[in-house]
Amino acid sequence: MGQLKFTFSDTITGYVTRFNRTERSFGLKTSDGREYTMFITPMTYARISQNLDEGYIDATGRLGELLEEENLVYAYCIFYPNGDDYRIEVKSMIFPGDQIGNYRHEEPDWWIKQIRAIADSYLKWQFGYPENQIDYRDYRTFLHLAGGKKGDYLQETDTISRLVYGFASAYLLTGEDRFLEGAELGTEYLREHVRFYDNDEGLIYWYHGLQVSGEREQKLLTSEFGDDYDSLPMYEQIYALAGPTQTYRITGDPQIMFDIEKTIDLFEKYYKDDQQGGYFSHIDPITLDPRSPTLDKGNNRAKKNWNSVGDHAPAYLINLWLATGEEKYADFLEYTFDTIEAHFPDYANSPFVQERFFEDWSHDKSWGWQQDNAVVGHNLKIAWNLMRMNSLRPKEKYVAFARKIAELMPAVGSDRQRGGWYDVVSRTIAPGEEYHRFTWHDRKAWWQQEQAILAYMIMRGVLKDDEYLRHAREAASFYNAHFLDRDDGAVYFNVLANGLPYLMGNERFKGSHSMSGYHSTELCYLAAVYTNMLIKKTPMNFYFKPKPGGFKDNILRVAPDILPPGSIRLTAVEIDGKPYQNFDAEKLAVNLPAAQHALRVKVTITPV
Amino acid sequence: MDIVTKVEGANIIAVISGEIDGKTAPTAQAKLLDALQVGAGLLVDMQEVSYLSSAGLRMLLLLYRQVAAKKGRVVLVGVSDEIRDTMSMTGFIKFFTLADSREAGLAALA
Repeated sequence: MGQLKFTFSDTITGYVTRFNRTERSFGLKTSDGREYTMFITPMTYARISQNLDEGYIDATGRLGELLEEENLVYAYCIFYPNGDDYRIEVKSMIFPGDQIGNYRHEEPDWWIKQIRAIADSYLKWQFGYPENQIDYRDYRTFLHLAGGKKGDYLQETDTISRLVYGFASAYLLTGEDRFLEGAELGTEYLREHVRFYDNDEGLIYWYHGLQVSGEREQKLLTSEFGDDYDSLPMYEQIYALAGPTQTYRITGDPQIMFDIEKTIDLFEKYYKDDQQGGYFSHIDPITLDPRSPTLDKGNNRAKKNWNSVGDHAPAYLINLWLATGEEKYADFLEYTFDTIEAHFPDYANSPFVQERFFEDWSHDKSWGWQQDNAVVGHNLKIAWNLMRMNSLRPKEKYVAFARKIAELMPAVGSDRQRGGWYDVVSRTIAPGEEYHRFTWHDRKAWWQQEQAILAYMIMRGVLKDDEYLRHAREAASFYNAHFLDRDDGAVYFNVLANGLPYLMGNERFKGSHSMSGYHSTELCYLAAVYTNMLIKKTPMNFYFKPKPGGFKDNILRVAPDILPPGSIRLTAVEIDGKPYQNFDAEKLAVNLPAAQHALRVKVTITPV
Repeated sequence: MDIVTKVEGANIIAVISGEIDGKTAPTAQAKLLDALQVGAGLLVDMQEVSYLSSAGLRMLLLLYRQVAAKKGRVVLVGVSDEIRDTMSMTGFIKFFTLADSREAGLAALA
């Protein structure tokens, strides 16, 4: 076909190689080492990446200073056919930092400010806070782009729980009471309205959700979605625990622990495959049988998948271990990671893991939309969480698997022309083709960026490899340059390949079955931890509010995440505003005083 | 467990006897859903139900959902105090109209 003879626009992302002030041109080398020459026009403008709740930071007058070698830049350009080549003229630029080699997302409070802004947006959108009180009867799963409600009455359990997780995480980083109030009221609402306590079995499962109308509510036992229709999918039960567990880390509320333990009983009794290992993805809603013929409706009979095995760890299980230090949860974690390591790699056939299985672990390549497609973010999520697990129970196979993923993914899952990470692609390349095909589109979803950012941040933090730092910086810069909605709040669901927000259909929502303030806040919480604790070595404060008689033996565990042993210490504690000395610096544990009220605990954690 | 269904006007009357547990609930659900094909209102006579397990409760909830989706109604007749307590504890009780007799149940569906 030869050269495309028309103008078009696109983004080029890379590192400046040279700047010619006379010619008003500069060189840009992409992440994979290809170089372009591009020209600045009189109308070219530039900005520095800004956080949520920050004003525009113009850099147009500083181009000469910022177009220095090695500086990363996102350049939106028009390509003009010019002979056998193109002349590339830049229309706008975004710099991730305001000085050479500086990345604003590595500022100590960048992610803390961001989580505060996101949590405040959801408090306002869902409850009209602060003008109105937080009342979960007002909660709706669907929210428009600017936070308005859609006029429907759906309250999905998962999405409430995920937002509760966001509020709890915001409290852990800020200590601001409105966030804990949001987390606790949400947890209580879940318990009162969508919890099914099964008397016969002595276990708990969670309704799919509610349809509410004024004082009336209709409970929805089973999923309402095509993928999971008329079943109890495991991921919904897993995510029902996400918010309450993160809240438990703060308060030690025994009621939450009761619900968590009884739900884990459900997992062990009905979802676990004791013969061939792992957890089934769906069970029949009446018989609780994973092999029920009724599950054929969704092609979910006797199946296992990424979510049913892999989502325990990040959604609630790591946080449960952090809060309790109980060996049984460490064992459970180890079991899930060993299962993933044993069955998911498929490197003889694909650079991506296999995500769906029959009960004997043979590969299921016929399921619904997945067929033989890969979710890029699931691969990165495995790498991220393997590195967490490796700091709890080190195994060479965990590190080797994480490294394998981290080294393979940039070429097959990221966009090395424009930056950012793709969504779903074919697991293999067809004969005669050079690129993995995009299953639906070449857009980039917010949550997949999160997986890349956290994977490469923790890998750099633990393994000290600068190549991982480069990928972490590129991923975090792309996200902060393009995903933050500074007009209406929180983050966009999807951007186009070039980084512009995609605002159509479900993807223009701020609240939906897929988005509810979870991934964006999880990213803030853990990016703050990994950046400050592991990469920049900056002390951080965390906030807790334990209930009287809550935590076992009155011990409050304050480790912010599973980090390498000895890499951080607890260096200061305040209780109700006064310095407090009864703590174990190495074990990151506070021996709480006896009290009749919930204590306000502020801890300072310092990297070694 | 046994189910006998009959059509009465625009309504279906289903009389269940015996135990509704994990083994029998799927059968009960299938029979009740079949019966629902021909009517909008469903009266479930449970006077002879001796035991309702959590699987039975889930069956009733799914049944309710199916009927509600068709803008129909469900009335339960003769629910024992024990079963009533279980339904109350699990938050189910609000979804159903309960009646003490079949006549009262049919009146509620009218």
